[in-house]
Amino acid sequence: MTTRAFAGIKSNLMRLACALVMAALAPRVLAQEPLVLGVFPRYNASETTTRYTPLAEHLSAHVGRQVVLQTSRDFVSFWRGVEERRYDIVQYNQYHYIRSAKNYQVIAHNKEFGKSTMAGAVYVRKDSGINNLAQLRGRTVLFGGGEDAMISYIVPVYMMLQAGVKKDQFTSQFAVTPINSVIGVFRKQADAAGSADNALGQPLIKNAINTDELTALAVSEQLLQLPWAVKRTMPAQLREAIRSSLVDLENSEAGKSVLKTALLTGIGKADDKDYDAHRKMVRAVMGPL
Amino acid sequence: MRLGLSAKFTITVLVILLCTMAANTLYFLGTSTRFHEQQLLERGRALGRLVSLISPEAILGFDFLLLNDYTREVSSQPDVVYGVIVTPQGVPISSHVDTTDAFIKKRLRDGKSADVTQLIQKREGAEDLIRLEFPITHNDVLLGRFLVGISRDSLQSQLRRQVLIQALVMSAIVLFLSAAIYGAFRYNVLFPIRRLIAASGEVGRGRYTAVEVKSADELGQLARAFNAMAEEVKEEQAKLHRQANFDSLTGLPNRMMAFDRINLEIHRARRSGQRFAVLFIDLDNFKSVNDTLGHAVGDELLTAIGARLQESLREADTVARLGGDEFLILVPDVVSEVEVEKIAERMLQSVSEPRELNGRKVVIHCSVGIAIYPDNGDSVETLMANADNAMYQAKAAQEGSAIFFTEEMNIRLRERMQMEQDLNLAIDLGQLALHFQPIVDTSGPRHRGAEALLRWYHPDKGLISPAEFIPLAEATGQIVGIGDWVLEQACRSWRAWQDSGLNPGFLAINVSRVQFRKRFSKRLAELMANYRIPPHALEIEITESVLLDDHQQVIEELNSLRAAGVKLALDDFGTGYSSLSYLKRFKFDVLKIDRSFVAGLPGNPDDVSLVKAILAMANGLDLRVLAEGVETHAQLDFLAAQDCDFVQGYLIAKPMSEDAYGGYLKNRLANGDAASFTVIHQKRTRGSI
Repeated sequence: MTTRAFAGIKSNLMRLACALVMAALAPRVLAQEPLVLGVFPRYNASETTTRYTPLAEHLSAHVGRQVVLQTSRDFVSFWRGVEERRYDIVQYNQYHYIRSAKNYQVIAHNKEFGKSTMAGAVYVRKDSGINNLAQLRGRTVLFGGGEDAMISYIVPVYMMLQAGVKKDQFTSQFAVTPINSVIGVFRKQADAAGSADNALGQPLIKNAINTDELTALAVSEQLLQLPWAVKRTMPAQLREAIRSSLVDLENSEAGKSVLKTALLTGIGKADDKDYDAHRKMVRAVMGPL
Repeated sequence: MRLGLSAKFTITVLVILLCTMAANTLYFLGTSTRFHEQQLLERGRALGRLVSLISPEAILGFDFLLLNDYTREVSSQPDVVYGVIVTPQGVPISSHVDTTDAFIKKRLRDGKSADVTQLIQKREGAEDLIRLEFPITHNDVLLGRFLVGISRDSLQSQLRRQVLIQALVMSAIVLFLSAAIYGAFRYNVLFPIRRLIAASGEVGRGRYTAVEVKSADELGQLARAFNAMAEEVKEEQAKLHRQANFDSLTGLPNRMMAFDRINLEIHRARRSGQRFAVLFIDLDNFKSVNDTLGHAVGDELLTAIGARLQESLREADTVARLGGDEFLILVPDVVSEVEVEKIAERMLQSVSEPRELNGRKVVIHCSVGIAIYPDNGDSVETLMANADNAMYQAKAAQEGSAIFFTEEMNIRLRERMQMEQDLNLAIDLGQLALHFQPIVDTSGPRHRGAEALLRWYHPDKGLISPAEFIPLAEATGQIVGIGDWVLEQACRSWRAWQDSGLNPGFLAINVSRVQFRKRFSKRLAELMANYRIPPHALEIEITESVLLDDHQQVIEELNSLRAAGVKLALDDFGTGYSSLSYLKRFKFDVLKIDRSFVAGLPGNPDDVSLVKAILAMANGLDLRVLAEGVETHAQLDFLAAQDCDFVQGYLIAKPMSEDAYGGYLKNRLANGDAASFTVIHQKRTRGSI
């Protein structure tokens, strides 16, 4: 090998070294990009922005990374974002989490109305003559949300299945929200409503109808509330930072304000096994995951 | 209640304004109501359409909260009482009621059901509610209906407010306009009218006041017309005053002013204690001037006499024409009767002066009656009556004389009045009677007839001479009734004698000029027919005075009598005008020579000449002549010698009663015609009449 050739090899090695250094430095640069916070379209986009922007800013301030809130027009587009793993942090329902658990890891759960848990319930009018779930056979049941609604659909259907009423033995209809499903029954638009166990106590319903005319036909076991999840690829340090940031919200006035804006009473820790009960019900109602 | 012009005008204006304003307000309110109701409906429709447009999504998604938001939002709109979304089957799935609505608030306050459905049902029963319904469809599938209840309550209260405000504004406008119009009316119409009323009152009180003309409008024209009228009234009043107080012919004060002057003089004399004289002047025979020379000459004479009288008097004296040919002179401040007598004499002379009128020399006299205040009366009426009475006495005594009034005159006047009263009853009381004086041929004893002579047997005064009461009866018009009685009585008597076979001959009946005017011939024809009197049995005697009247009427009457075959005699010939033209113009059968001429026969040469002349003239005119008042044989002889046809008088027979005359006729028949004559002159006879 000649000197000239050696010089050429040396030059190429230098270029390679530079490229390697640059390649090593590249992930660090990428990690500094904003974290995308995705929130399922429980509310419309503008309300979601109003309610969750303070929380995103809180996370940005405490996690050391900018957190950007990304809203979805509807569940379809939201779910597409989940499947495409466009969200670094995501807040959705239990069924969503169970379906996306391969890519996302639960880190926390919502506390709503001061509770970490919630149960599904089936409501009927007191004057309907329906006294047990089996009587819903051949009837119309109005569920809140859609078929992916954990508390308002999957859990009530699970209870009906448990009561021996198969899915093809009743007519399913869906109201936009669980509250509407309860109002629908009150308004005699369906024989029963699938909703949360705290539905009748909500001011929204109390203001709209006379809840005394309704009764809960069945109430499920208590299930952990809506999960917060992050990408499984997220560094553990960052994941923990996000979890602690969320959980610590209820410990400060500023955090409480953020929670209040998001209509939450707190956020608690959660692990994947906390959603096994949900998972069992989903499998029973929706089939294998 | 009597309303003034201003009140009527103001009320009219008020009514018109109120009606106009009320109509305007009603129209405005009607329009406003329709407009606002239309607005309500449009608003309701807009809301309904919007909700029905946006609701399908929520219905399909069972989004009742959103539907509630819709109904709540709709219900919160003004005037919207409720919004309800119902299923096609009518089941409400969202509803909201405005609890501030008065009706609902009341029901809730009354503790009635708060159920929305019930509230809405009750509310829909109210009249003020407009119920709208909108279908909610999706892809032409009916999802439900949206019901909206809209209340007119606020609209109505708004309208009530508007009515109130409108009424207040209208009242203010009406008051203002009324006040303004009234003010303008008062200034422009009422004031001028009041000025005209005041001026009219002044004119009514005889004080002419011109009204100031301020404008050229109708009121100005009225004021000008009023001024012109007032001016004319003033002139007319002056004219009327002249006409009322002055004689249009002579320009002298008339009877009314004469009375006023005497009245004033009475007051003045009463205060001063002085005397004054009233001279009543009546022209003698003035009628003959009018009849012979014409009324124009008569008027000229009156004017001249009036002027002459005025010239003859002092300035303080008053000459007035009382009417016709009567004048009055008022002489104030009379000291003695002598002074008045001189004035009267001056008047007599002044009137008597000959005048050249219409180419003819006219002499007329007057009679003057004088009354002195206070000796002969202290009132206008008494003085006038007494002066008049004195004048008549003067005229009766001697025409062309002046006589002072005396109480005796009044006594005579009273007697005359009493006689007039008694005469009124004379026929009814049977006090009148006819006497008959035979008429015979002068040449022999042949009886021709008789003259009917009226007698009045007064129960107190005995027999009253016709010469005494006939002039009175003629003056009072009583002669018409009396004459008619005489005529009928004569006819009745003639018929009785004739029926008794007494052959009474003819009856000569005197007819007054007054009686002659009353279609005498017709009445005579009736009586002749009633009593079957042959025409030759009647002879109508009239005096020359009858002929002085309207010639045409007299000629017609005389012709009628002649046509009926009645004889006509001219009585008292020679005592009056004895106008030969009468004899030529009017055809008479007989001339009667007055007894005054016969009395002097045959000794008085004048009477002899006169009687001879009358007889010669009668002979020439182929008239028979009858001499009255033959009392002596000498008279009879003379008349017979002069070929007088008939005689009548005491020598032949005195006037006798009906019965006596019947006896006379009977006796005559028994003894032959000559029996009643003691002297018979055989002259010549002309044959029977």
